[in-house]
Amino acid sequence: MNVAGSNPFARGVAVVLLPAVFLTVMLLAPVIRLLAEGGVGALQGTVVSLWQDDYLRWRVVWSFVQAALTCMAALALGLPVAWVLARLDFPGRTLVLRLLMLPFVVPTLVAALGVLALWGPRGLITGWLGFQLQDTPWLLLYGNLFFNLCVVVRAGVDALGQVSASRVAVARTLGATPWRAFWRVEWPAIAPWLASALCLVFLYCFAGFGLALILGGQRFATVEVEIYSLVAHELKLAEAGALAVCMMVLTGGVALAYAWIEKRLATPARADAIALRPAAGVFLWTLIALALTVLLVFCAAPLLAVLLRVVLAGSEAWAVLIDEETVHALWNTLRFSASALVMATALGLTHALAARRSVWLRASAFLPFVVSPVTVAFGLLLLYPQWTASMALLIAAYALLAYPFVAKSLGAALDSLPVHLDQVARTLGATPWRAFWRVTLLMVMPALRRGMAFAAATALGEFAVSLFLSRPEWVTLTTLIYQRLGRPGAANLDAALVLACLLMVLALAAFLVIESPLPKAGRRSATHLRHA
Amino acid sequence: MLELKSIRKTFHDPAGGDWVLAGDLSLTVQAGETVAILGPSGSGKSTLLKIVAGLEPLDAGSVWFAEKDITPEPPERRGFALMFQDFALFPHLDVVDNVAFGLVEQRIKRGEARQRALDMLDLFGLTAHARQKVWKLSGGEQQRVALARALITQPRLLLLDEPFSALDAELRSGLRDEFSYRIKAAGIPALLVTHDEAEALAMAQRGYRLVSGKLITLW
Amino acid sequence: MMLKRTFSFLAAATLALPLFSFSAPATAQELRVITHSSFSLPKPVLAQFEAQAGVKLSIIKAGDAGEMLNKLILTKAQPIADVVFGLDNALITRAQASGVIDPYSGAAQQRAVAGATLATGVVSVDYGFVTLNYDRAAFAKSGLALPKTLEELTLPRYRDLLVVQNPATSSPGQAFLLATVAGMGETDAFDWWARMRTNGVKVVKGWTEAYYTEFSRNGGSRPLVVSYATSPAAEVFYSKEKIMESPTGNLFLKGGVFRQVEGVALVKGGGQREAAAKFIEFMRSPATQEALQTTMWMFPAEPGVTRPEVMRHASEPASFDNPSPEAIAEKGADWVSRWTRVVLK
Repeated sequence: MNVAGSNPFARGVAVVLLPAVFLTVMLLAPVIRLLAEGGVGALQGTVVSLWQDDYLRWRVVWSFVQAALTCMAALALGLPVAWVLARLDFPGRTLVLRLLMLPFVVPTLVAALGVLALWGPRGLITGWLGFQLQDTPWLLLYGNLFFNLCVVVRAGVDALGQVSASRVAVARTLGATPWRAFWRVEWPAIAPWLASALCLVFLYCFAGFGLALILGGQRFATVEVEIYSLVAHELKLAEAGALAVCMMVLTGGVALAYAWIEKRLATPARADAIALRPAAGVFLWTLIALALTVLLVFCAAPLLAVLLRVVLAGSEAWAVLIDEETVHALWNTLRFSASALVMATALGLTHALAARRSVWLRASAFLPFVVSPVTVAFGLLLLYPQWTASMALLIAAYALLAYPFVAKSLGAALDSLPVHLDQVARTLGATPWRAFWRVTLLMVMPALRRGMAFAAATALGEFAVSLFLSRPEWVTLTTLIYQRLGRPGAANLDAALVLACLLMVLALAAFLVIESPLPKAGRRSATHLRHA
Repeated sequence: MLELKSIRKTFHDPAGGDWVLAGDLSLTVQAGETVAILGPSGSGKSTLLKIVAGLEPLDAGSVWFAEKDITPEPPERRGFALMFQDFALFPHLDVVDNVAFGLVEQRIKRGEARQRALDMLDLFGLTAHARQKVWKLSGGEQQRVALARALITQPRLLLLDEPFSALDAELRSGLRDEFSYRIKAAGIPALLVTHDEAEALAMAQRGYRLVSGKLITLW
Repeated sequence: MMLKRTFSFLAAATLALPLFSFSAPATAQELRVITHSSFSLPKPVLAQFEAQAGVKLSIIKAGDAGEMLNKLILTKAQPIADVVFGLDNALITRAQASGVIDPYSGAAQQRAVAGATLATGVVSVDYGFVTLNYDRAAFAKSGLALPKTLEELTLPRYRDLLVVQNPATSSPGQAFLLATVAGMGETDAFDWWARMRTNGVKVVKGWTEAYYTEFSRNGGSRPLVVSYATSPAAEVFYSKEKIMESPTGNLFLKGGVFRQVEGVALVKGGGQREAAAKFIEFMRSPATQEALQTTMWMFPAEPGVTRPEVMRHASEPASFDNPSPEAIAEKGADWVSRWTRVVLK
């Protein structure tokens, strides 16, 4: 049987080649270059001296500690909230569940501004408190929770949703009180999901840059900020290289744990989920109120603070919107994000397809979580100095950070796709490419759309790469906000907040695409997206 | 002995329309006997079992056992063991720990609970599987483990929700006989819910059909 | 079908976009000037230069002076500017050693300079002094006497009063550190810093944060800040009501004053040499030299330039403590590292 025009082997190679080459050029090569910068022999020496240097050791330890603290707080706060959302039914529940995705698309810079608007030196709450929070770790931890509480809540809701009702019922009839039944039957079932979410939370916090840069202050910034400072301000490339390598080793370990747990979680959605209980009685309503308060305080308050400041801001702050610089920055943001999105989609698509065959590629989807943006930008800077200020490299770097979302989203959808659909299409006369285009792609379209929306949100809020690689004339909205933040006076802060709102509007557009009602057929594949 | 007095339960379907699951329903299960309730899928038989177990609230009526009104009591205090068609074994525990689960809830020390569980498994001829993960067992073996888990707690009543629907036809008759034998040997009253008439006939002394919220006596 | 068509069209369009905006080197009529963030000249003055020289100015603000130099070094292979303004005496040796500037030998280079010369090939444009500023109102209210030496600042009665900038990330911060090292000697200087740490010195990232957030004049809690000798004059200039005396004052202490000289130079590998030369001359022209005093708040390097009336509030110190440029180049980074360990760790 001759399938006209397609050599399956050639097609397979082409699909694997694109993401593999891209990852090598944009990720592996810079990382290796980074190692070379430290000098492998000198690296051991530098790493040792690094460890003996109290200051740098404190930075690494603190990065670790703040990530761990965030994990614990997110779990302690997030699990009860998840329980309320997963088990109790109340008006507005679906809205809250959908809004949980909002922090994912908020650009880091906007969130940092929100935290400052609330708790910063001239923040809304600081005024009432009467003492300064600036030199405390609280700002950074609060900012971390803003992003990561929702990750845990979302994972918790998904996890609780797949606990088998019959098992809990049996446990109850065997003599377990509701609390014992939760502890002995539900908790072991949801623990792996939560562990996976916490790995992700740890990675985000440990390798975080934007938040730490703005909220960490002098004492409580993370290693990523230190690496940036060593390169941009002090040009101590060897030490920066050694630090970057340490970071990679640590994040690599956590990412491996994450990948391992994820693999074990690949069970199909359960049919007999525990039914929602309608909220009745003072006790349950109090729980709901508490859960909503937690979400309000940690996830909604920063955004509301930004909105409030913006609404109250004077007209000079609003005038920044029609400023020539702003228009230029907006244009840059839009075209960079659009180009990056196209590139990320192509890469994500080929990666997801290729990952079905190759275990290595599947694992490599986690690489961008392991290597932080600062390290990537730094490595690229060293490796391709003549390209340092070139548009292609900038867009490629954006795409590198954005495409894993597409790849993971598509990968999950492709995994859950019944294989016989493609086979039927083939027997009906379609070539492999046509079968893909007419059947498979349309079936995974919702997942693709979702992944693209996350990729777009990432590109819109991209910050670290622009700091390193961008030419000053390629100022984007994020770098513009950062510049404004560095200038004195309330007027500049208000202008920065207005710009942040603009960025939020763009990000919201991406959010609406993600969360707009899916057609029924697509819903099944979408439920497999947990944290992507 | 179990008495259901004038149970009323209505389902409020959000898609529109309420339907009456039980309207003034009464039933008695005497000591040592097995009663079967037949009905097609979706007629609400499982919900009735859950009401008896205390897992589902009722709109009106009461549940009595041994001359006492147990309607307000929570499931963990009623002493009614429940078995499902998907076996509902705990995947994170191995076979012996599954069986010992109820004993641990009765505050029996783990070591002793495990020993008793092993003895029970021996009675069932499942000792070889004691340390295995539950999903490694066949369907029939899993359901037998579930019965062992239920019986070891010496329940006052056994509630069976379509226990063999997920198993092959050939397995069913053998299991049916084994279960009847063990339940009778333990002297425990049982309420069986099923859509399979042959199964009901083989296992129960009395049989009813649940139709539009009312029980129609079959035998 | 519609979906696929729109998708392919969008893809093609967005892929094509970057091609049109691929960054090319400056167009024939554009002069790229890289400066630090504090660069500021009145628009009419710049416009006049553009008209006379027949070029369009593209001012690239690249952060702190140290950041600016690092950017130049990192992009050596493909320079992002043609001329650089803002390299000062603390950075110039490193700039030359890294090979990012070309010597200039035009007219401006030959003339005498008020202030100091930087290095051969680099034209001084302005000079200033990094020193301590104090909030008059705060000191009057508390009744504390002003400290007469740096040593006094370590006494308990001056606890929690000073805010400084991190020398790793801030030019004035580094300047102040260098002054303490030159004024007290290395060992004593770091000993002083350690004692200041216990006495509650606050460290922030940059001058903006220190002056506009932490300085008590602007709503902060610290009445002493590391700033410039011209800052009191700026306070008078920008004040909403007309005032006779500046609300802040200069505090010149031994070991606490650093003279900073800024210059303009050609970027190695940059283009537009003719226009760049004209720009350098322009920076030393009387119009610019007069204007920069009230926009950048530095003293003019060109001798004989008139000082605006408001500059009488900016006193010049009798003496200052600068380490030699060679010492700065050789040991500067070590001093900063040591400072970090002593004060921040």
